[in-house]
Amino acid sequence: MEEQRQITVIQTAAILVSTIIGVGVLPLPLFAVRAGESAAPLVTLFGMAVASIGLVLITWLGMRFSNKTIIQYSEDIIGKWAARLGSLLIIVFFAVLTSLTAREFGEVVVTSVLKSTPVEVTVIVMLLLAAISTRNTITTFAYIHHFYFPLLLVPILLIAFLSFKNAEVINLQPIFGNDLKGIMMGTMTIAALFQGSFILTMVIPSMRKPEKAMLASFWGMLIAGGLYLLIVVAAVSVFGAEEIKNLLWPTLELAKATSLPANILERLDAAVLAVWVTAVFTTLLSSYFFTIYAITQLFRLADHKMFSFFLLPFVFIMAMLPQNIVQMYDIIENVGRIGLYITIGYPGLLFMISILRKKRGNQNGDESMDKIG
Amino acid sequence: METNQWIKSVKLVCVMLITVPLLTGCWDQLEIDERAVVLGVSIDVAGEDAEQEESEVGHVQGAVPAPRSGMVRVGVQIALPGRIPLGPGEGGGSQEDSQQTVWVIEVVGHSINDAFMNLQQQISSKLFFGHLRVIVISEALAKKGLENVNDYFRRNSEVRRMAWMMISKGHAMGLMRAAPKLERMPTLYLMSTLDEGINLGRFPKDYLGIFWSNTSKKGQEGFLPYVEMKKEQNVEIMGLAYFKNNRMVGVTKPLEIAGYLGLKGVNPAGYSAVINLEGMDESVMTNVTQRGSKFDLQIKNGLPHFTIDVNLEVNLEEKMNDEQLIDNTETIKSIDRKQEEVSEKFYKDIIRKTQEKGSDIFGFGEYVRAKKPGYWNKRIKTKENWQRMYKDATFDVNVTVNVRRIGMKAK
Repeated sequence: MEEQRQITVIQTAAILVSTIIGVGVLPLPLFAVRAGESAAPLVTLFGMAVASIGLVLITWLGMRFSNKTIIQYSEDIIGKWAARLGSLLIIVFFAVLTSLTAREFGEVVVTSVLKSTPVEVTVIVMLLLAAISTRNTITTFAYIHHFYFPLLLVPILLIAFLSFKNAEVINLQPIFGNDLKGIMMGTMTIAALFQGSFILTMVIPSMRKPEKAMLASFWGMLIAGGLYLLIVVAAVSVFGAEEIKNLLWPTLELAKATSLPANILERLDAAVLAVWVTAVFTTLLSSYFFTIYAITQLFRLADHKMFSFFLLPFVFIMAMLPQNIVQMYDIIENVGRIGLYITIGYPGLLFMISILRKKRGNQNGDESMDKIG
Repeated sequence: METNQWIKSVKLVCVMLITVPLLTGCWDQLEIDERAVVLGVSIDVAGEDAEQEESEVGHVQGAVPAPRSGMVRVGVQIALPGRIPLGPGEGGGSQEDSQQTVWVIEVVGHSINDAFMNLQQQISSKLFFGHLRVIVISEALAKKGLENVNDYFRRNSEVRRMAWMMISKGHAMGLMRAAPKLERMPTLYLMSTLDEGINLGRFPKDYLGIFWSNTSKKGQEGFLPYVEMKKEQNVEIMGLAYFKNNRMVGVTKPLEIAGYLGLKGVNPAGYSAVINLEGMDESVMTNVTQRGSKFDLQIKNGLPHFTIDVNLEVNLEEKMNDEQLIDNTETIKSIDRKQEEVSEKFYKDIIRKTQEKGSDIFGFGEYVRAKKPGYWNKRIKTKENWQRMYKDATFDVNVTVNVRRIGMKAK
């Protein structure tokens, strides 16, 4: 905590958006449509609402303990050992999330662009890139996100709006769907795509004005959720729900079916993939950074850099575990949903206990807090 | 000081060494001249003795039984990189035949991919489908079903959804070998026939991707352009080949494409029709300039009932003889009325035709699904049920025609 508090509200929002928008955008419409057919936008909205609950919880906690991350304040709230167990779960979960992100990235690249490049290479290149970048301080980390933010925003907006040319409104009707059985599951799957927002708990202690964290998370959620919603609406209105069920990555297919006016580019998938690589990079960077930062704090070390390469082999091996792409998506969906207990359930628990025990990080000195635990 | 410099140079060498593996290029490098750029593909049903003709690439002979839908004969049109004249100045248009800009090869196989693998065995460069613009399928194959074709091209990541798929009367292979005079590349000519069709209001947007989407939808069926090669190696759009699931079940007449476009209210409009004036031998020809349509859905006696209002803006283009002058509002009104009458019957006929085959290419079922979800969930729910129910659905068509202009002649 000796670092300067330099991160602004806008940077925080940018971190949230570029962390949330990642590999998930490609299969997103498929997940949503499987759950609700033409109600896919509604499912996305529900998912966004569930994810917002989690984000609000960690923002509140973060503001209550504005000098501490979740690893530290959980010890104040529920005691040292229970908190350490919780922190360990979070760390493992984010390490798994990092590896799955890298693997999903690799699968997309190998399937659609670099067909003869081994998937191991694409995965390790991406992980190396993330590992090297995590050797920076959290301020630089914020700058990286801030820098890539527009690069991520513009192409998604471009594709969505260009594809509306081929849209048919009837595909989006009825907006409540014909079949509501899968909506709960789907909501959770979509909510799981927002889990990257957990990075906020690491960012708040370095924010210049932590009291404005809620504003940042509001904007972050609004922009990221808005983009997700836009993609789903565009994909469903162009293809129709039934066709999306046939497509592994509807967003990529959408880019393929969309052309720039005057046929400057007849298909945008190559351009989109190029941008999407940056989106994946920022997501990967965040979850990787979160993992090593959390480890550092769990062991009360000062420097997180040493872990960035130490973690690499573990993450890489985990990334290589899924045997095929179908199994990989099963794992991703299941891990995501289980992860909701960690990213929403756990902060919720902390939040309630902290209110009951009237814990607050801001007024009292940190030392006295530690004793109680 | 000296050691410092030494360390510096070692560092520099290290950095340079790191970049070495990057300089080898990537696994996927494939120079443009090592690619066989496939522009068009034709797929026919292979004859009885095809199995003998097939080389043993994907499987040894006799090991795999011929698939249910029979074997396929695939023709590809590969662009010859050096031969394609770029830009003007090289004698616009092709006087030579198509054989000089493209290379047409045919193979047989058990499935589409099997055929492509047989083909790959015969040519040195790697087949590349990124520029595939036209897939021509013979009527015979379409009637057997397109499951295999759709599956292969959907799975292939190089194929674009903006390509055209069309059904040919007779053999599809002929269209690959055709050498139209207007374009240098035969497939580009095929493609522009249809693309211009869209611009002229003579054909609906029906790219490969749109066909796939329509085929997937529960309340709609796909359709494809139905083409035939004419004497001068030109291509005529003969109608819409309409499907039920993946199987072609019928073809419309060319003018019935206009019926489809009118019912869907597609713009720009472009079809002309001959109108026989009441009580006279006089005929005029009118050209539609603007179409509009509105569906209204009600459930009557437990069955969907559609009221379709079609609105046509029309220009008069031609009069066959001189008996009647077009110089007063009454005459124009009578043309309006006559065309309304004719069109109503015409539209109803097209709908009836598709109803008989249970192939709802208009997407009325999607309309039911979207607007009456309660009814849909209770009574229909699946594609098969809608195919059955479509036959019993009832339709009212109201057409409003307005002749607006009569050209440069005053009467």
